[in-house]
Amino acid sequence: MRSLDQLFEHSSRSLARRTSRRSLLAGLGQILTGAALLPLLPIDRSGPALAEDAKPKAAGPESCDYWKYCAIDGFLCACCGGTSTSCPPGAAPSPITWIGTCHNPGDGRDYIVSYNDCCGKTSCGDCECNRNEREKPTYRPSRNNDLNWCMANADSNYHCSVSVILGVAEK
Amino acid sequence: MFAQAAPAPLAAEHLTVEKLPPKTPHWIYVFDASFDNEIDMRLRLFDGDTYRRLGQIDAGFMPGINLSPDGTQSVVATTYFARGSRGTRTDVVEFSDNTTLTPLGEIVLPNKRAMTAPNLFNVAYSEDGHFVYAAYITPAASFGVLDPANKKVLGEIDTAGCVLVIPSGPNRVSSLCESGRLLTVTLNPDGHESSRAMSEPFFDADADPVFVQGIASEHGYAFLSYLGEVHEIDLSGAQPVFAPVWPLVSPAEKGHWRLGGTQVGALHRALHRLYVPMHQGGEGSHKEGGTEIWVFDTRSHKRLARWAFQSAGLARILAVQVSQDPAPLLFAADSAANVAVIDALSGHVKHIEKHLGQTPWMMLNP
Repeated sequence: MRSLDQLFEHSSRSLARRTSRRSLLAGLGQILTGAALLPLLPIDRSGPALAEDAKPKAAGPESCDYWKYCAIDGFLCACCGGTSTSCPPGAAPSPITWIGTCHNPGDGRDYIVSYNDCCGKTSCGDCECNRNEREKPTYRPSRNNDLNWCMANADSNYHCSVSVILGVAEK
Repeated sequence: MFAQAAPAPLAAEHLTVEKLPPKTPHWIYVFDASFDNEIDMRLRLFDGDTYRRLGQIDAGFMPGINLSPDGTQSVVATTYFARGSRGTRTDVVEFSDNTTLTPLGEIVLPNKRAMTAPNLFNVAYSEDGHFVYAAYITPAASFGVLDPANKKVLGEIDTAGCVLVIPSGPNRVSSLCESGRLLTVTLNPDGHESSRAMSEPFFDADADPVFVQGIASEHGYAFLSYLGEVHEIDLSGAQPVFAPVWPLVSPAEKGHWRLGGTQVGALHRALHRLYVPMHQGGEGSHKEGGTEIWVFDTRSHKRLARWAFQSAGLARILAVQVSQDPAPLLFAADSAANVAVIDALSGHVKHIEKHLGQTPWMMLNP
């Protein structure tokens, strides 16, 4: 139950700022689908296999819970035709950016990441993500995710955001 | 059997344009950040007594918005692209008549406007309405001084890395600095800088930064910090005066109960009542909406009430505003785009307006 509690806690946190009907239904759909399938899978329910399958899967780049996205406020480019490190076709990366430090539970290291916006098209609108670990207000722009970082692009419309590893954070 | 006589046909109708009724203290301008399609943000005018949506002012892409000191005009500092979502960028300040919701004119800006989350200090009027200030972030920080009567840009003033335009008096503009200081620039009658002064630090951007969503107080603004400290600044004199800091949370609550959202407080200035959306959460939860609204007396610094609204049908509360009349209404916008109309004295929910826009993140009242 602990992992289920955590799932719901994190889901509700992701939804805390904004819950559109569409995203709520999509989120509920995932939860309900998961709940419906769990009793059916795996077919072999003997001990070790069940314990292994019951472990929560690490979130991937199309999920706001992905470790690299610990201070993204926007739409995930990975859901918009790009990846966590590339802009969707036809969009342009922002040359200026904000910086964060995210912990990778996979290797236990902290990484410095660059949150770039992808620009020149209107809001992607998919996979809204609003996480703010160590995020600071506008008077500290290098740690702020409220600014439109497409501001210096020739086409300064905001489309989506990526998170690019710059290096391991030194303790 | 005889058929009944057919009823008389409906009279021909005439297409007209609705006129706004006289404004009341219970009107509220709800800023919709239209987050799924950000080039199309808008202000919606809503009546907290009749629960009618009275009209709309268009606001373009990531605008700054504000009302004139007498409430008769709205100002929107925004950006348009020549081909809708792309093409040549034009930054512009637009004025609207709040009695008709029609445009009154514009001032084209250099393409430097601060494109950021809503707050009161992206664009602002001087106290006498003689100047309008527009915050610039490129990301170099400065601001434009505008003449709204003659629709002209008077100049640009560098702010040495400090951001936003916090107006006071007829000719002063303060900006928040990363060092925790307040920069205050005083203007001459032509709108050019006559002097500037940097305050002592009043907050620590590392340990406990203040939200930029300041709250208008009797003589200035109150700024609330991530961990729940109240910084009240009197801006009525030539130099800012910082009141002793006081906490919204007890030592046991500190760090566990936090404020958060997109408009993190509202103050009834005559009653000295401060309303803050609060939630249980840790570091990084400063944009999460409140599960409760806490009510404080800003003179005694006592918490007067904790109001929870989930049972009334509200989701997490992102933005609050309160009317300034003796029978005040508290407005609370939530994460499901509902706006609740609440008796600000009792906490009684009078009405929940469903889906007032797509993402209502800030509210202004006349």
